[in-house]
Amino acid sequence: MNDLSQMLADVRRGMIPAYVYNDEEVFKLEKEHIFERSWIFLAHESEIPEPGDYVVRRILEDNFIVARDEEGQVRVMFNMCLHRGMQICRAELGNASHFRCSYHGWSYRNDGKLVGLPFHNEAYGGEDGFSKSGQSLLPAPAVETFNGLIFANLDPNAQPFREFLGDFAFYLDFYTRQSGDGVEVRGPQRWRVKSNWKIGAENAAGDSYHTPQTHRSVVEIGLFREPTGAKRKEGALYWCDKGGGTTYKLPPGTFRERLRYVGYTDEMIDRMESSWSLEQKRLISDDGFMISAATLFPSFSLVHNWPKVDANADDDEVVPFITMRVWQPISATETEILSWFIVDKNATEEFKEASYKGYLMCFGSTGMFEQDDVENWVSITSIAGGSMARRLLLNSRMGLTSADKPLNTPLADFHGPGLAYVGYGEFNQRALLKEWADCIERPLDQKEQLAMGEKILASGTKGREK
Amino acid sequence: MAISRIDTTGMKPLSFGDPRHLEAHQFLVDESYLLDAQLYDEWLANLTEDIHYSVPVRVTTARSSDFDTSPGMAHFDDDMYSLKLRVARFATEHAWTEDPPSRLRHYVTNVRSFETVAAEELFVQSATLVFRSRGDNREPDFISATREDILRREGGSLKLSRRLVIMDESVVRMQNLAIFL
Repeated sequence: MNDLSQMLADVRRGMIPAYVYNDEEVFKLEKEHIFERSWIFLAHESEIPEPGDYVVRRILEDNFIVARDEEGQVRVMFNMCLHRGMQICRAELGNASHFRCSYHGWSYRNDGKLVGLPFHNEAYGGEDGFSKSGQSLLPAPAVETFNGLIFANLDPNAQPFREFLGDFAFYLDFYTRQSGDGVEVRGPQRWRVKSNWKIGAENAAGDSYHTPQTHRSVVEIGLFREPTGAKRKEGALYWCDKGGGTTYKLPPGTFRERLRYVGYTDEMIDRMESSWSLEQKRLISDDGFMISAATLFPSFSLVHNWPKVDANADDDEVVPFITMRVWQPISATETEILSWFIVDKNATEEFKEASYKGYLMCFGSTGMFEQDDVENWVSITSIAGGSMARRLLLNSRMGLTSADKPLNTPLADFHGPGLAYVGYGEFNQRALLKEWADCIERPLDQKEQLAMGEKILASGTKGREK
Repeated sequence: MAISRIDTTGMKPLSFGDPRHLEAHQFLVDESYLLDAQLYDEWLANLTEDIHYSVPVRVTTARSSDFDTSPGMAHFDDDMYSLKLRVARFATEHAWTEDPPSRLRHYVTNVRSFETVAAEELFVQSATLVFRSRGDNREPDFISATREDILRREGGSLKLSRRLVIMDESVVRMQNLAIFL
């Protein structure tokens, strides 16, 4: 890494040192300063609808069981036995009333409570040697849900999630609350790419400029009519609190006509009408914008597109789909992508199937959009590892004059919160990396240690409440 | 019969000397050459119009679970329309992920054939190991999988009418699946 304060200053003025996409020291800072104290998406509640349902997910190397307990409450528990540190659950998903450690047989209820400790009396003298009562698998330090989306934070003193999310919630509703009952998800597909995690996050946040070039082939084959250069530059880019995204400008019409244009059925539009606020509806009806890609800092992204799914359909008969993904960093040069398909829980089976098909054709491991994105991101990461990349500052100042003034004025009558611009610009990529720089600069707190089952606590450590 | 994902009622294994087995085996080997060379138009011509080509997402589950693929989610869940679009895309000059093209090798082995209750259809299991090399110096990627195919005789020759690919890894270690398995 070059000088840290210089690097952060460069990033803040929109000149990105190319090596930040392939640097071990930068990645170490990201792990401690960002991923160990940011809100990270783990799962959606619809993945674990029944008591005992669980999925296993990660934040960096930390592995969590995300389970619905017998009372129906979602629990996020560190997947490590309190005794010798064995990974308690070694499946990715399933249903279980209890998790039993395969090493010495300690067992935990699906709410995490320690209920079985073989030979407790003989081995420990009962409660005196190991206080079993009230012990449970270590819960994730902070957990919050929004529209069924389960987020966790490794920092017990983290800013509360709703405060962190801020008014970006306004935009999240378009993807995850199309009806009062919310959405259901399928997946995730999981695959590993030799790409730095930031590149995908930046791309989804605001890169409407790449679409006409990177995704030219999907227009040529008639899969998706929208992403031409002429159309993309008419869209608005918005940034609001900790997230931002891209939109498409829709042809003239009412709220209903514009939602029909992207393929929603009337019964779905009825539900959107009753579940979205007046301002949310006016973003579509008055402003004429339809949300497309978005990123919530640091690594959670969403996409909404409307391809032609049916072979026999006319060119204007399209079906919308939504996907969300996590860019889970493995190293400075590798990312595991977890990509889910999302659909309104109340949609018809016919719509769900068509939308799912649209997703598979466009995004995810086989998606005809995403295939070309990842090819580019792998190349960037690979070439950012050398000495020349240490000298090169990438220009991420699109949309700004040399005097740091926006080329276009922000939209005055935009009905969404935050700041929005029409036209190409790297406003959102800069906003995301500014957040990144602020996080890296903020000093780390002292981490507490937790001692299990110990009655007399060693000095300097702090026990858990019984 | 070994564990299969499809209903094998009424199926009978064919001996390795059976002409139908030899024909099925040859179909798979010939197909591998087309897939390695990315001769996808020729490959499509060897599929029936009602082809269902699916690659579910494999998941790690407890032995006591009755499933090991992700409920409702696949990598591919394609019919002729979506396969044709994928192939058409590779034929444009802007499918960056395959330009320069990957070097591919589909190794096909462990082929077993079965006659089915439909006289014109054979059920064929095989194992495949796909090697993919991109760029001049990147580490190559591999995918190991089993395939369960229905080959149907149409106009005198066998065509693929159903392929179910069960991958041996849960997390795919390849930048994308811009290839066929």
